[in-house]
Amino acid sequence: MPKFFFKKQHQVEALIYEYLEYLETSRKHFSEAINTCLETGVCDDFDFRIRLTHKFESKADDVREKIKELMYGKALLPESRGDIMGLLEAMDKVPRLFELVLHMIKTQNLIIPDLIASDIKELLEVSFENCELMIKQVKTLFERAKGIRPLVATIDFNESRCDHIERDIITKLFDSDLDPFQKLQLKEMVVNMGEISDQTDRISKRVNIISMKRRV
Amino acid sequence: MLSLLGGIFLGWSLGANDASNVFGSAVAARMVKFWTAAILASVFVLLGALLEGQAGIETLKGLTPLNPEQAIVCSVAAAVTVTIMTILSLPVSTSQAVVGAILGVALLNQNVNIPGLGKVVACWIGTPVGGIILSIVIYRVLAFFYNRLNINMFQADSLLRLSLIVAGSYGAYALGANNVANVTAVFVGAGELTVFSAVLLGGLSIDLGILTFSRRVMETVGRRLVKLDPFSALVVLLAEAITVHIYTIIGVPVSTSQAVIGAVLGVGIVKGIRTVERRTLINILVGWFFTPAIAAVIALSIYFAMQLRYVPSG
Repeated sequence: MPKFFFKKQHQVEALIYEYLEYLETSRKHFSEAINTCLETGVCDDFDFRIRLTHKFESKADDVREKIKELMYGKALLPESRGDIMGLLEAMDKVPRLFELVLHMIKTQNLIIPDLIASDIKELLEVSFENCELMIKQVKTLFERAKGIRPLVATIDFNESRCDHIERDIITKLFDSDLDPFQKLQLKEMVVNMGEISDQTDRISKRVNIISMKRRV
Repeated sequence: MLSLLGGIFLGWSLGANDASNVFGSAVAARMVKFWTAAILASVFVLLGALLEGQAGIETLKGLTPLNPEQAIVCSVAAAVTVTIMTILSLPVSTSQAVVGAILGVALLNQNVNIPGLGKVVACWIGTPVGGIILSIVIYRVLAFFYNRLNINMFQADSLLRLSLIVAGSYGAYALGANNVANVTAVFVGAGELTVFSAVLLGGLSIDLGILTFSRRVMETVGRRLVKLDPFSALVVLLAEAITVHIYTIIGVPVSTSQAVIGAVLGVGIVKGIRTVERRTLINILVGWFFTPAIAAVIALSIYFAMQLRYVPSG
């Protein structure tokens, strides 16, 4: 379809890709921040990574607002407008979780004990894989809408794995000799980390429904 | 010109009400700006009237011979019927009102073209039925191809929007071609207008209704169709336009609203959902009887009233 037709539609398409780029960049900085935290604890480099994570979360937010404005400016069919807005709202929770976890570590001066460090790494690795798959799935939806279902299954599988790891970490925490208050703090952090994969799973299912709805 | 006012009013009311059947869904969903829709509809209505409006005019003028006075009575009676039923929020078909009014005068003349009337009534019944059948067929065929298109969400959206505009324009063409006869056929029958001047005047008066008063109707009536998904709305629009166009070729003015209801019902059958309230269907059946009957009574009343005059005795 020639680009001069439906100009707003093409703008929305370009902005969604921009949004996904910022989401991915935010995730990368979050990953580096956590690695820094695991290696050296809260330090200047960790602060710097927090700022970068926030910067790209904020950029993604700005893009989301621009998309919203275009949607209200009558771009796309009403049904698609609703689907895309719902999807963006759901995706926006992911970088917010990145920020939430980082701020918990910073403001509560959390130190991740060695007994759960490797599990945390594993939990986040699987969660990050889910984030990548989710972004791939969203791109697939906007590109050609085929190949979405296998991604749903993988994301769902990973989410179950994350739940399992999360439960293991919490069990280890409460079996340990750590201070009870520290246990609760770390538990809250782990639950929020686990929420990342839960959220990607919700988004993945939403994408699948949007894709199925478009078949007539 | 004054004698044509009833017809012009009918055309205006037709344009104001029936444009919603072709561009209502697109305008109500803000897919097309009102003025874009109104201008497209006006152009295509006039085009349809000029290119294919003649057949309907031939059918209506053939129902009974009319003199100029009776032509005025028919158009005013139809206009009054449409106005009363609209005020009472009852479903109304301009085609049925016009035929009813002609029938009233024809009874008075004791000269009714029974085969012609039979053809018209059969087509009235065939309109929603045609809408149902065509929407089922169109849905199946289009869905087969649509589901096999290798296009993304944005391209699918663009395609549907463009299709809605094209189908809306075609619907407007069919509306003009089919319904222009309602507006000015009686004047052709009475020898007051030539066929060309009738389709031109009829088309322009429908355009006047579209450009001056269709916005609110498009936005409110169109919302009914917006409840359907965009693909189904496109199917409904195409089925309605093709149904009305078929009856244009046959030469019988029909109700676009009834074609739309039939098409919506057809989409419901394909999708296994209830898309039309039973009340709407009952209203169509009631309308088939009451609209022509009321128009006939009004035509007779106006005609008798016009004959009342003081005759000095001896």
